[in-house]
Amino acid sequence: MPRIPIVMPQLGESIAEATIIAFNVSIGDEVECDQDALEVETQKAVMGVTSPCSGRVVEWSAQIQESYAVGEILGFVECTVEEAHRLGLDGVIAPSSAMRESLPHGFSPADAAAAPFLQSPPLSTTGVAPTLRGLPVPAHASGASFLSPRLKARMAELGLHAADLAGIAGSGAAGRLTIEDFEKFLSQLDDQQLSQASSMRVAVADAMRRSWTRPIATVGMPVVIDPLLAHRKLTTTKAGPALYGLRALAIALGENSALAGRLIGDKIVHPRSIDVGFAVEAEDGVLVPVLRHADRTPLNALVVRYNELVDLARRRRLPADATGGSIATVTNFGSFGLEWATPIPLPEQTLVLGMGAGRIVPRWDAKTSQFLPATEAHFTLSFDHRVLDGGGAGRLLVRIAELLSTPESL
Amino acid sequence: MITYLEAIREAQKKALESDPRVYIYGQDIAAFGGAFKATKNLAATFPGRVIDSPISEDAMIGSAIGAALQGMRPVIEMQFADFSTVGFNQIVNQAATMFWRTGEPCPITIRLPSGGTPGSGPFHSQNLEALYAHYPGLIILTPATVEDAYSMLLEAIALNDPVIFCEHKYLYYHLKAEALPSAALPVGKARIARAGRDATVVTYSAMLHEALAAAEELAADGWEIEVIDLRSVKPLDTDTVLASVARTGRVLAVGEAWPWGGVTAEVLARIATDGFNLLDAPPMRLNSKDTPVPFHPNLWGTHRPTASTISNALRDLLRL
Amino acid sequence: MLHLAEAPSRAGKTSDFPETYRRAYRWMLLARVAEEKIASLFRGGRITGGVFLGKGQEAISVATGLALKQGDIFAPLIRDQAGRLAFGESLHDFTLTYLGARSGPMRGRDGNVHRGRPREGLLPMISHLGAMISVVNGMLIAHRFNGKAGTVGAASLGDGATSTGAFHESLNQAAVEKLPLVLVVTNNQYAYSTPNERQFACSDLVEKAIGYGVSGHSIDGTCLEDCMNGIGEAVRQARAGHGPQLVVASNLRLAGHGEHDDAHYVSTHLKNLPLGRDCLENAQQKLLQNGWAEAPTLELWARECAVQVDEAVAYALREPAPDPATEDWCAISHRHLADGNNAAI
Repeated sequence: MPRIPIVMPQLGESIAEATIIAFNVSIGDEVECDQDALEVETQKAVMGVTSPCSGRVVEWSAQIQESYAVGEILGFVECTVEEAHRLGLDGVIAPSSAMRESLPHGFSPADAAAAPFLQSPPLSTTGVAPTLRGLPVPAHASGASFLSPRLKARMAELGLHAADLAGIAGSGAAGRLTIEDFEKFLSQLDDQQLSQASSMRVAVADAMRRSWTRPIATVGMPVVIDPLLAHRKLTTTKAGPALYGLRALAIALGENSALAGRLIGDKIVHPRSIDVGFAVEAEDGVLVPVLRHADRTPLNALVVRYNELVDLARRRRLPADATGGSIATVTNFGSFGLEWATPIPLPEQTLVLGMGAGRIVPRWDAKTSQFLPATEAHFTLSFDHRVLDGGGAGRLLVRIAELLSTPESL
Repeated sequence: MITYLEAIREAQKKALESDPRVYIYGQDIAAFGGAFKATKNLAATFPGRVIDSPISEDAMIGSAIGAALQGMRPVIEMQFADFSTVGFNQIVNQAATMFWRTGEPCPITIRLPSGGTPGSGPFHSQNLEALYAHYPGLIILTPATVEDAYSMLLEAIALNDPVIFCEHKYLYYHLKAEALPSAALPVGKARIARAGRDATVVTYSAMLHEALAAAEELAADGWEIEVIDLRSVKPLDTDTVLASVARTGRVLAVGEAWPWGGVTAEVLARIATDGFNLLDAPPMRLNSKDTPVPFHPNLWGTHRPTASTISNALRDLLRL
Repeated sequence: MLHLAEAPSRAGKTSDFPETYRRAYRWMLLARVAEEKIASLFRGGRITGGVFLGKGQEAISVATGLALKQGDIFAPLIRDQAGRLAFGESLHDFTLTYLGARSGPMRGRDGNVHRGRPREGLLPMISHLGAMISVVNGMLIAHRFNGKAGTVGAASLGDGATSTGAFHESLNQAAVEKLPLVLVVTNNQYAYSTPNERQFACSDLVEKAIGYGVSGHSIDGTCLEDCMNGIGEAVRQARAGHGPQLVVASNLRLAGHGEHDDAHYVSTHLKNLPLGRDCLENAQQKLLQNGWAEAPTLELWARECAVQVDEAVAYALREPAPDPATEDWCAISHRHLADGNNAAI
């Protein structure tokens, strides 16, 4: 026989619960439809709660002096199928006790047994199409690379850059770095030893970070430097190897300055003059003094100025007009004993020529049909791939090697 | 030449001529022709259809709702927008909810002579578009030009939903056009009143003309300001606003109404939500001061935004 | 034009009066049974929102509904179940709305007494009750424009609504426009819990008619015959073009303001006055005394009402509830002008 629940009514618009005062009928008693089966009290009034149908009370699940929420089941009346049908209660027949116990957590029997209109179907999205509004968001403005204005403001406050956060995995939408990720990261740093980076270090970091926004590629080749070394022995000025490289680069760029041009929008900006810098290691960083018009001045005439700039740079006394505005840089990483490296051009330059350490290698001599010792150094050219391709960079490097094979012409 | 006020009168005349369901009801509008003469001579031309009402804003609007339910197209003239608050209950609880509750349309047009003029003071100067726009079920029109005053009033009367028609009193006589329009943008579409690329001003009603003057001033310094006339504040043409912000990256919303929870706030909220990644600077707004509207012209001229305060705000925005 | 005297009794003067009286009684009975059933469902936890009963007010209500014809307008108040039925509202509209069915006239968007079918002249009230009068005025103005002569609009109010500004504005408006408005004010002694002495200071509400220049009628709300005669006369006057009519009926509310209210504040003194009699019991006695109906007939009518009400409730309980996912969340009729911030996020 159908079991129809007796439910705690909503006895006023703002009422959430009521207290049971008395049961007017006992378990096993017959009740009439609409008869007051029990009495409840709210802050506003005392009210009878009616039986939903005629039948027999089979259960009181509520207790006297206890409060129950609106919609909770207080007991059950068992009635005939005909009675339930007559009253339109077919849809509110209560599940059996066993079924009720198996209801999922958070799903109260009251939900299941309430009047049909309280039984709203679970909120589904069918029939509610999301509205697309506005304009498409630029691709870079979402996901991992997106930094919210709040995070940017906090970073600016601390003087941090996006690159400083490279080690943090974002936990936000689409891998986005959240402010919580950021603060957690900062707090973890407190556990570690911290030392102040020098202003030189910070300046180099800034230049490298800006430079790295471009696609940088490197090509390299071995160059025989015996002629260079022989020439150096014969001269009294004793120019450093880097100056030979610098002069060869300058001559090559003087022949075609577009190779050192910068790409801005859809234009190649040609250099005004062939001013070439060279890297000098100073304490906790690198300085790049510049030799102006290096394509027009012979090697021997550059030596004094070159040595002077090296000295000033090491003492960090370079005058303002001796740095900046160069179109390419030469770096002799061979002086650290390195054979190969991929230096990064300065942010305002397209090219950097690298020179490795020379070493004696057996080299096949076609004339005498035997291996002869030769001194080779690897030369590298790192370049902004937007401006140059591998071929263009390679031809420039070959031309430099060619010029270095006749050092007397430099 | 035809004034903004004459355009409103002509639109009502045309509506009375072409649609027997239309009648006009308001205080002093029949023989007297209305406090602003917006219905001058109409009572004589259309006997029995331009009717004087008692000073009973609640009953005026309630009766319009009843007539609309019976198929009429009433136009209610509030003597001043400020007085519509007496009929507020009928507008927001009865008219605005009617279609939602019953499925029966409620085609009434309520004309609100809105906005400040020198000396009109706290109770004859208000701009209530945001108040009514807050309620679902209403359409809020804010024409800024003679052409729109004409075409939008005709469209308001033709619409099946309750329309709050905010006509600006300052424009009544100050604004003139060569002729009445033969075609118009539909309600719900904003208009780009001046094209530009450096910043967008979103505005409506009388403030359009202040914004255009500010844009002209900045043009002398080489700035190109885009000015959008919303035309209707509800519905709000968010797409046109966002498309403009996408071009300029900077936006200033200007309204003569008070700032708190107003149309400018709504415009900026939508830009911040849907167009956050289009912005190069924080979205800004400019409204009247948060005090009652003052009487004396010196105070009034400072209370509301003007071309010079708009151009100052724009210069700040362009520096960001 | 103004007459404050009791409306002339015409009981039994016309040959079909007993038949009309029987019809009126049966509407009253159906309303009483239907409302008691809804009250029971409320106290059984099957109703969301309020339940408002017209107990003790059925005579005034049914007299209003019966005096109106098709094409007339009726703006009921919250205790007008009998009048609604007599005016032609189906019992299903009542149960579907109280039980929140999607197929009801309000589709779950509004509930209980806030239902109507404006196209058929039955206005859905907003809670600010004085506000309905001017809407009736407007419908009557439209009738005048459309040449629909001889139609009447009735609006029901309680004593509380006579204190609103809307009452003043709209009665004055109707008077100025000489509209065929019948304003039926039921003074049931309490507006929620506020008694008459805190509501108004005139000795009788019907005195207000003088100030507006309209006809006033006082009737005994506990007497069906007086209600039928008094309201019938007011409607005839209005229909004949004699302008607005203010009817003030006196009775006592025999229920709480709503079913959430136990009405403990109602004075015992008032309950013991003739004013506190139940109009339905009075009418029943009258039927028996005048030999207009026999006791077994009355019992049969009561059983018929119970069956009819149970059927209407069962029908509404089986109807589907509104579904938020398929609900049309658009508040205006011009869909293309919707402001469109309703997308599910």
